[in-house]
Amino acid sequence: MIALTEDLAKAYLQSRGLPVPAGSAAATADEAARRAEALGGCAVIKALVPAGRRGLAGAVRKVGSPTEAREAGAALLGSDVGGHSVEQVYVEALEPIVAELYLSFVLDRYPAQVIASVHGGVDIEQIHRDHPDRIHRLDVDPVGGLRPWEAMRLWERCGIESARLPALAALTVGLWQAFVAADALMLEINPVAVCADGRLSVVGAMLGVDDAALARQPQWQAMAATLASRGGRRANARERSVLEINARVPGAVFRYTELDGDIGFFVGGGGASLFQHDLMLALGARPANHLDATPGAGWKEKMAAVVDAILARPGVRGLLISYNFLQLVNVDERMRLIVDHLKLRGVDPTRFPVVVRLFGPGEDRAREIARELPGLVYMPPMTPIEAAVARIVELTGGPRGTAG
Amino acid sequence: MSILVDASTRVLVQGITGAQARRDVAHCRAYGTRVVCGVTPGRGGMQVEGLPVYNTVGAALAIHEIDATLIYAPPYAVRDAVLESLAAGIRLAVVLAENVPVHDALVMRASAERAGALIVGCNTNGILSPGQCKLGGIGGDLPARVFMPGPVGIVSRSGGMSAELALTLKAAGYGVSTAVSMGGDAVPCTPMVRYLALFDADPGTEATLLFGEPGTPNEQEAADWLASRNSAKPVIAVLAGEFQERYPAGASFGHAAAMIQDPRDTVSAKRQMLADVGAHVVRRLGELGPLLDRLGVTRIGVTGAVEDAT
Repeated sequence: MIALTEDLAKAYLQSRGLPVPAGSAAATADEAARRAEALGGCAVIKALVPAGRRGLAGAVRKVGSPTEAREAGAALLGSDVGGHSVEQVYVEALEPIVAELYLSFVLDRYPAQVIASVHGGVDIEQIHRDHPDRIHRLDVDPVGGLRPWEAMRLWERCGIESARLPALAALTVGLWQAFVAADALMLEINPVAVCADGRLSVVGAMLGVDDAALARQPQWQAMAATLASRGGRRANARERSVLEINARVPGAVFRYTELDGDIGFFVGGGGASLFQHDLMLALGARPANHLDATPGAGWKEKMAAVVDAILARPGVRGLLISYNFLQLVNVDERMRLIVDHLKLRGVDPTRFPVVVRLFGPGEDRAREIARELPGLVYMPPMTPIEAAVARIVELTGGPRGTAG
Repeated sequence: MSILVDASTRVLVQGITGAQARRDVAHCRAYGTRVVCGVTPGRGGMQVEGLPVYNTVGAALAIHEIDATLIYAPPYAVRDAVLESLAAGIRLAVVLAENVPVHDALVMRASAERAGALIVGCNTNGILSPGQCKLGGIGGDLPARVFMPGPVGIVSRSGGMSAELALTLKAAGYGVSTAVSMGGDAVPCTPMVRYLALFDADPGTEATLLFGEPGTPNEQEAADWLASRNSAKPVIAVLAGEFQERYPAGASFGHAAAMIQDPRDTVSAKRQMLADVGAHVVRRLGELGPLLDRLGVTRIGVTGAVEDAT
C-alpha cells in the first residue's frame, strides 16, 4: 500500500469537491509562521508523516498566532513521529469544531467496508476496545457502490439525529466514490468535524492506495518509490533502488524488504518464500531480508538489483537462492544470469556461502554453469525445499545461539 | 476424475495473440486441452496456430460451444474481459494476470457470484487435471515432470507451491486429481472453500491438500466448512508465513488498521482452527508421504484403483 501524506490526501479530496479545510505544507518554521499568518493566525500545525496516532504523539498542535506557529514548527520539524522523521509540517485552518465523528473505508478482504462512529477523535481505538458496540460497520456492494440511503441508515444506527443525516450521508457517499476512484485500500477521516456553523469538514484524512493500481493513478505514480512503505516504515535507499527498477522496467515485480538477520534471501515465488522464511526461523537463523518475486520481464535487471542490495548490507554472511520447481522458465537461463552477476561482483562462494536450489527444465545445463563458481552449493536433484534452507544455515554458522 | 476441467472441456482464450498466451496455449494443446478459438479485440478474422480469432466473446460464442475461458488480458483490462465473458454466458474463467487492482477484483467476484460463475484467480498460474486438461502455464511444457494422475486434490494460494506439493506427492508415489492455483491476492475471485467443497464431492478425489498463507479469511472459512460438512474425506493443510508473527508490527497507518485486525488471520491461528476441526496440519513437506500412507490413499500404479473409487 502506498501511504499518502495528509497534504496529498487532502489535495485529492479537495479536487473531488469534498469539504477540506484550507491548508498547505511547510518545510521550515518561518514558512509555517507565514502560512499561519495567511490563515489569520489561528491554525493547526501537524507533523506531515504517514502515520496514525499523531494526536496522541503530540504531533498535532493548535496555535493562536504566527509566533506560536513558528515555535510549533520548530519543535516538530526534525523530530521523530511514529518512526518517521518529520521533514515538513502541515499548516491548516482551525475549524470551530463542536463534534467529532469517525469514518473510514477499508479494503483488505471481500467486500470493502465502511466503519463509522460518533466517537471520533484521538480515542477511537480505545472506544473500539472498550465499547465495540459504538463502532458501526457496513459491507458495501462492489457493483452498486454505497447508496445514500445505506449511508443514512449507517449513521442513524450510530445515533446521528435526523436533521444532520442527509448532509452526512451525502459526504459519506462522496468519500466512498473518492475511495474507489483513488483505488484506495484505506481512507480514514478522523475526525469528520461538525462545525459551529453546521458545516461538515474533513479535518483528518489518511489515504492508502493500492500499489497495483498506481499506473492508472498518474497523480501519485511519480512519488511511488519515495512513498512506498516497508513494514510500516519508509523504504531505505537499497529498498528504493529495487522499487525504482520495478517501476522503470515493466514485468516482474520484486518486493524486497530488509530485516535484521544475516542470510541473504533470494527466494521465490510468493508461497515458497513464506515457506522458506518459516523454515529458516525454525532452524534458529534469520534472513537479512524478505523477497517476494513475481515472474515476468526484466528478471535480469531486477535480480541484479536485489543481489546488489543484499551484498551491500553489512554483516550478511551468505546467500540462499531457492525457488519452487520452475515450470515456465528454463533453469539454465536463470543460472547463467545469476552466475554472471555473482562473478561481476567478485563473489567467492568458498568465503561467502551461496546455496542454490533451482529445479526444472534445463537443470542439467544449469548445473554445468554453476561449476564456473567454485564453492557454490547446488542442491542435488529432487532434494526437498527444507534441505536447501538447512544447508545455508549450516554453512553460515549453524543455528544462532549455539554457534557463530 | 477431477473438478472443473477434464478431457471434454472446450476452451476459449481471451488475449490469444499475446506472447505468453501463444506459448501457454501451445503447451495446453500439446497436453490434450481442447482449445477451440481465441478472442483479441481488433484482431478478428486472424488465425493463431490454426485457431480462429474473434473480436468479442459474443462473436466467438455465436459459432462455437465453449465451457471455459482462459484470460490473458493485462492487469487493467482483466475486469472488462471477465465481465464480457460473464455477459456472454461463460461460467468458468481462469485469470492469469498478476497485479490486478483490488477494486477490480471486488467487482469481478461480486459479478461472478451473481452469474453463478466461477473465476479461478486472479494471479493464478492455472488449473490442471493430470492427463486430461491444463489451463494456463501450470506444469509448463511437460506437466508430467511434476503432476501425475491420482486421487489427491490440491488447492493452493501459491502457484509455485502447487507444483512443489505435486512434486512432493509424486516423489512419495501419489498423484493429483486436479491442482488449482487459486491465486494469492487479498481478494481472490473465488474463495478457497468453494474448491474444497468441489473436491469433497468429487468421487475421484480421496484427500484434499490445501496450501494457505497469512491474511484473508480463506482458511477460517475452510475451517467453518469442515466443521459443518457431512463427509470424512481427509483434508491436509500446509500453511506458510508464520514468521510474520515473529516480527514487531510496523507503525500503524491510521486507526482503521487496528479496528479491522483479525487475530484469526495469523498462520498459527489458522493452523489451530483447522486442526480443531479435524484437518491434518503438516509443517514439513516431507511429512506428506507418510501421512498419505497412513490415510490409505491410493498410490500411483495401483491399477484401476482410482476408477474403482468412482
